[in-house]
Amino acid sequence: MQQILFNGLVLSASYAVIALGITLIFSIMNILNFAHGQMFMVGGFAAYYVYGRFHLPFVVGLIVATIGVGAIGVLFEILFFRRVRRAANREENSILLAVGTALLLENLALFAFGEKERGVPDVVDGVLRVGSAYLPAGRILILAVSVALIAALLLFVQGTKIGRAMRAVAQDREVTLLMGVDIDRISAIGFGIGAGLAGLAGALLVTLSGVSAGMGTTITTKAFVMIMIGGAGVVAGSLLGAVVLGFAEAIGYALLPGSVTYLMIFLALIVFLIVRPQGIMGKPWG
Amino acid sequence: MGLNLTRSDARATAVLPVGASGEPRPRRNILALAVAVAMAAALFVVLPIGLAGQPYWLSVATNANALSVGALGLWLMFSIGRIDIGQAAFAAVGGYTTAILTTRYGLSFWLCLPLSATAAAALAAVIGVPILRLRGVYFSMITLILTEVTRLALLNGGALTNGAAGITGIPEAALLDTPLRFYLLSAALALFAALLTWRISASRIGSVFRSMRQNEALAASLGIDVTRYRVIAFALASGLGGLAGGFLAQSQQNIFPATYTISDSISFMLYCFLGGLDYVLGPLVGAYLLVFAFELLDALQRYQALLYGILMIAVILLVPNGLLSLGRSRTRR
Amino acid sequence: MSSSVPVKPRRGVILGGALIASAVMLTVSTVAFADDILKIGVLGVMSGPDAAWGLVSKYSAEATAAMYNEQGGVEIGGKKYKIEIDSVDDQADPKLAVTGAQRLILQDGIKYMIGPNVDSTIASAQPIAEKYDVMMFSYSFTRSLFSPPHLNTVLGIIPGYQTGPVVFKYLQDHEGLKSVAFVVLNTAEALKQRDESVAAAGKLGLEVISSTDTYEEGATDFFPVMSKVVGGNPGLIVLSGVSPADAPKLIKAARQLDYKGLLEAETAQDINILDQVAGDAAEGFISLGGASTPEIQSDYMTSFIDHYKKIAGEWNDEAGTKAYALEMILKTLQKAGPAAIADTELFKKTIPDFSAPNPFIKGDQELRYVGEAYFQQKRQIGLPMVINTVAGGAFKTLFVGTVQ
Repeated sequence: MQQILFNGLVLSASYAVIALGITLIFSIMNILNFAHGQMFMVGGFAAYYVYGRFHLPFVVGLIVATIGVGAIGVLFEILFFRRVRRAANREENSILLAVGTALLLENLALFAFGEKERGVPDVVDGVLRVGSAYLPAGRILILAVSVALIAALLLFVQGTKIGRAMRAVAQDREVTLLMGVDIDRISAIGFGIGAGLAGLAGALLVTLSGVSAGMGTTITTKAFVMIMIGGAGVVAGSLLGAVVLGFAEAIGYALLPGSVTYLMIFLALIVFLIVRPQGIMGKPWG
Repeated sequence: MGLNLTRSDARATAVLPVGASGEPRPRRNILALAVAVAMAAALFVVLPIGLAGQPYWLSVATNANALSVGALGLWLMFSIGRIDIGQAAFAAVGGYTTAILTTRYGLSFWLCLPLSATAAAALAAVIGVPILRLRGVYFSMITLILTEVTRLALLNGGALTNGAAGITGIPEAALLDTPLRFYLLSAALALFAALLTWRISASRIGSVFRSMRQNEALAASLGIDVTRYRVIAFALASGLGGLAGGFLAQSQQNIFPATYTISDSISFMLYCFLGGLDYVLGPLVGAYLLVFAFELLDALQRYQALLYGILMIAVILLVPNGLLSLGRSRTRR
Repeated sequence: MSSSVPVKPRRGVILGGALIASAVMLTVSTVAFADDILKIGVLGVMSGPDAAWGLVSKYSAEATAAMYNEQGGVEIGGKKYKIEIDSVDDQADPKLAVTGAQRLILQDGIKYMIGPNVDSTIASAQPIAEKYDVMMFSYSFTRSLFSPPHLNTVLGIIPGYQTGPVVFKYLQDHEGLKSVAFVVLNTAEALKQRDESVAAAGKLGLEVISSTDTYEEGATDFFPVMSKVVGGNPGLIVLSGVSPADAPKLIKAARQLDYKGLLEAETAQDINILDQVAGDAAEGFISLGGASTPEIQSDYMTSFIDHYKKIAGEWNDEAGTKAYALEMILKTLQKAGPAAIADTELFKKTIPDFSAPNPFIKGDQELRYVGEAYFQQKRQIGLPMVINTVAGGAFKTLFVGTVQ
């Protein structure tokens, strides 16, 4: 019981970083970042090389992952999404492009990093015992860092000028444009931060579950599940979604065979969405 | 009907045209007939003769035909304004229907084929009622998950689906013993799917679909039973997916949960997009191009997948409205 | 929105049609057989997360081909044939395995094929291979694929269910092993493997302390399950069906729980990830190695390694095993005669009594087809069974055994 609780906490916290990233991008730019899982994966590889191969401090790996993947996000927005927004007749093209970027990133990663699954040693060694639960020190670290990051991000979005601009764009794009805010710049920054969060999550979790070039789709699927539970485009909703998924996974893996766990989660999600299509905190469909 | 169709909607029927009132105009009907005959000629005469001595390329074309059936189904979903990333799930349902019925109950494949399509359509009708209430990206996300759900369900299906080991040894079907015959059947299915899609699009149902794509709420307020029509669209689309799956199961003589994954759903969607959503023939063109391109790139080995991804992005950026729109003069928005 | 005259859409249709036609016409049938060329097909997963499996098959075949071609080719029935390797990536997708097999067999006229690497892709390619009388040298632990009615498929690796008993016996004799416990991945295949190992352990008189502990695919937390197993104090913990990525985490968990006994995996592992993730904890970990080690390799093997490194960039332990596939095909063809190049029935007839010197090992070892006890027919390459242990972050040979 305590083990499930602890595992759930760790998973929820790290998943929340993923969910926040994709929510940010969706709320500001109305684009569903299909490449979010691939960005997570690239972040993981960055940490693998910096920390696992070059033996630099883990923190450096985290920073490189965040900035590197964030840069990729900005690049995607400037090179691809901006163009398609202006050129296409149909809005479906944004989704098509998002899928295309996922494919591109995954194949580039396969090419650059190879196909083997990689892992890194724990950042901190040792196991704590609390009751009947084992609390590996490495996981406590992941939990702590994730929570700190989420808090920092929330403060940023609430407190800073850019953060307020992002919230304004998310609320009402046209009005914000009329008020003189540089939407293009905000979009690029938003995509950059969202992507950076994905990369950061990937770097954090490489100590937990390793990284391989093909893991992107699974992570993207989890991100989708979280925002469907919580409500797309709503920050609080994404956090809620992360908590629900994290604990559902922890409980599921403890009690059910592996592939059945996610089958149950998906079915429960479908049933839930039938009852409440907009998620827990999403805006109701007009 | 005073619905204000956009220019792209008008073009949606331009290749196989229809008037604003939904009735095919006689002059344009002849154009449609010409296109249909040309397509039939290409499928049944040009390709078989051109690929006569090369059973391998014939089987590639067979695959392209089968996959375009599924892609044509997706076209119907686009016509009601929904992005469906779950077609592979229904292909899997169709495939397993054929597999189970032929191996365990000895049913003839020819009977199983329409049964596969029906099973997929029926399942879609049932699931569709609740999930079609979701709109926009929510709907797309849930169809994506549908593919995974189906795969996991098949994996854990116990004695019915045989789990990860899949169903192998599907017996050869009567009359289908050469690559050429498989090809001809696949071409017939592709032609059938294209004609069906066009007929629907050119009919009154098609106009209803288009009005729903424009604005579902407005259509509802005009008295259209949107729930009923979108379920119809979903059932038809998924039925075509099941048809494709049933055919492919027979041609490969096996099926596994691993046969249909999320990337296959994405592929169906891409075939549709790349040809151009404004034309009924779009999915066919897209499927042929991507399937053949993939095989032709085989010579590049290591770089195959990478180039495939780059190709995708390039086409999306340079030709955002699909390849068939290249013949159109540029018009500003 | 201004109206515009609808442009004739036929242009678009014609363009699309032209594209299709040209793509089709671009295909040129490759030459079937020059008189003195022997084409060998390689089908496997060469991209994506499991790409190493297929790529190693491909590089190994290319290395062997290079070695023979430098001597002018392989001599069969007094005539020399240059070897050409024709490889196709199936991405571990059953659909692509079908088209890949069709391409190799129908388009390129292949009669001898190496791969695929996964159950589903092997099962997909088999109907085509069997219909057109093609021999497959494949890699899978599933026994049914190599047993009748499948007469055309040969196993090229040593499966876990064969290593179990051999390792137990060795540890019993040399380390005084008395008790064993099992931790197994919760999938049908791995559970089967565990059951066979449990039976083997019982037959040797070892005490099976626990054999029902499992962990799930996708799990990352191994402390709960390991603490149960370690608590029983076995002399050896067997990790059945463990993937190379999970092994180091399981090992680390066991050591952090103060386990002092031996740990073993019955399948091939990856020394890099073992060293990186488990570090010192992996010391002494026993696993199945590639069928070649510095202690036993002949000069021929050294040459193969050099050729392999030139083609692949770096050596891969698995290549020690996959080196045998093409070599076995060629040697059997030499025994069967040139008619067998196009007639696989002749090839199959040569299999039961086939015997040749093992070129990869020092000394006078014989290379045969084995596996009758498992597949009711001899459909497995008689590879040496190399068992490794981890020492100082690298694999070291513990001993070399044989398949029954």
